[in-house]
Amino acid sequence: MSIETIIGGWVATGLTLFIFTFLYKDNPLFKLAENLYVGVSVGYTIIKTYDTVVVQLIWKPIVENGEWALLIPVAIGTLMLTRYVPKAAWISRYAFAFIVGVGSGLAIPRTISSFILKQIEDTVRPLLTLVPGEGVTFTWNLLNPASSLNTIIILVGVSSVLFYFFFSVEHTGPGKVVARIGIMFLMIAFGAAFGYTVMARMSLLIGRLTDLIEFTDPSYGRPSLWLAGLTILTLVVMARRSSSKQPKTEE
Amino acid sequence: MTFTERMLKIDRRIIFLVIGLCTLLPLLYPVGLPIKISPEVRGVYDHIESLPEGAVFLLSLDFDPASKPELHPQSISLLRHAFRKNLRVIAMTLWVSGTGMADQVVTQVAREMGKESGKDYVFLGWSPGGTAVIINMGQDLYGAFPADYNGKPTKGLPVLQGVANLRDVNYAVSLGAGNPGVEAWYVFGKDKYKFELGGGCTGVMAPGLYPLLRSGQINGLIGGLRGAAEYEILIDQKGKAVAGMDAQSATHLAIIVLVIMCNLFYFSSRKQRVQGQG
Repeated sequence: MSIETIIGGWVATGLTLFIFTFLYKDNPLFKLAENLYVGVSVGYTIIKTYDTVVVQLIWKPIVENGEWALLIPVAIGTLMLTRYVPKAAWISRYAFAFIVGVGSGLAIPRTISSFILKQIEDTVRPLLTLVPGEGVTFTWNLLNPASSLNTIIILVGVSSVLFYFFFSVEHTGPGKVVARIGIMFLMIAFGAAFGYTVMARMSLLIGRLTDLIEFTDPSYGRPSLWLAGLTILTLVVMARRSSSKQPKTEE
Repeated sequence: MTFTERMLKIDRRIIFLVIGLCTLLPLLYPVGLPIKISPEVRGVYDHIESLPEGAVFLLSLDFDPASKPELHPQSISLLRHAFRKNLRVIAMTLWVSGTGMADQVVTQVAREMGKESGKDYVFLGWSPGGTAVIINMGQDLYGAFPADYNGKPTKGLPVLQGVANLRDVNYAVSLGAGNPGVEAWYVFGKDKYKFELGGGCTGVMAPGLYPLLRSGQINGLIGGLRGAAEYEILIDQKGKAVAGMDAQSATHLAIIVLVIMCNLFYFSSRKQRVQGQG
């Protein structure tokens, strides 16, 4: 195993354990790992962006291939930097106007087509289906997303939830019943979303623990065991020091 | 203080410990609980199975190391499946912070399957613009990515022969941990350039993507670690996702028990309070 892999194992183990110490309480080890994470990810993003955008997509094509037309987007982008000069800050509005205009022009029609029209089309499916040889049929299978029963459930769900968010009419009488049904559908949706969120968070824990188990291997030098011991020892020392300081401050 | 009150004010660190043990013990001593394949995961698998040898498969690894435990096993399984089927693989990412990891996973699986960069697969890396990159690729793939991740010009690469833009892609899968991800690939890719699209996502995102699945906007969805485990079973190469399923079931069981207990103690303490007032 290469020395880089072994060092990587030790660093990953140490930082994982430092982050986990927050479950006990906030402490300097957690702060160290947290700040390191922020710093490394920002540094990585800056370097990758610089290399890809400035070097690969601007400098090389202009200098090596003579693609001078690229200077136009570069000039528009450079206008953004005028934000740092208060007197010339207004010039940056041209760049923003360009970005907002192009962005909206691209996003609005596509979003309407994808999320509104296609979803409405799916919501208002026919309740009955015409099967050749069998005539008009109504399917009751709850497990089949395309069944007639599910079509009714979706129609009721969408209508009642939309009504719940319709505040121009007071929710009394039959309206209250519809709004209540809407709340029930919302609660089921929130429950499903929360269930998936729990699953996702547990997956992250499983991922880290799997790596920690892997790093107990002698080929790595057992960093999980050594660093777990060291982390616990550090926490104990810090807890003792803070408890010995506390009576003095009270006095 | 009654037992109920003591339980309601239990130190949260005890709950952390319980969850930690419920995760750790099944990882150390796996039971091998059965894993049922869902139709949404099978949708992605079946479509890749139906592709002929040499078909163009685009895999967009739109995630960063924060979502690695869920999406890394998905990407490994999908790449293994695509390489086994001898598809031409175009890999890329829309997340700058995931570039290095995406390169690592593509290179690692390609080496394992004996595939050659430029001939059997290409890793295009990252290009700035987010969703605009998808539109750019739809018009001219070489304009969006003039060079691959290693700096080799994309024009003339054998793997990209006959591929001018996204219309020439037979199947695309986005493994997304947020935006840009699966939705962006549908909105700015499939809806405009008419290629078949599948998705993979973190567990948090899965409920939001089910409407796209039902309406046929995507033809399959691999959701979280569970979806990755199902895919590993389908390609018959068990990995980290399958290994984590016992732990996942154990923690879910522990959380269900904790929720029930909390409710029982809460209603019990409320009853005691009402009786005390009466």
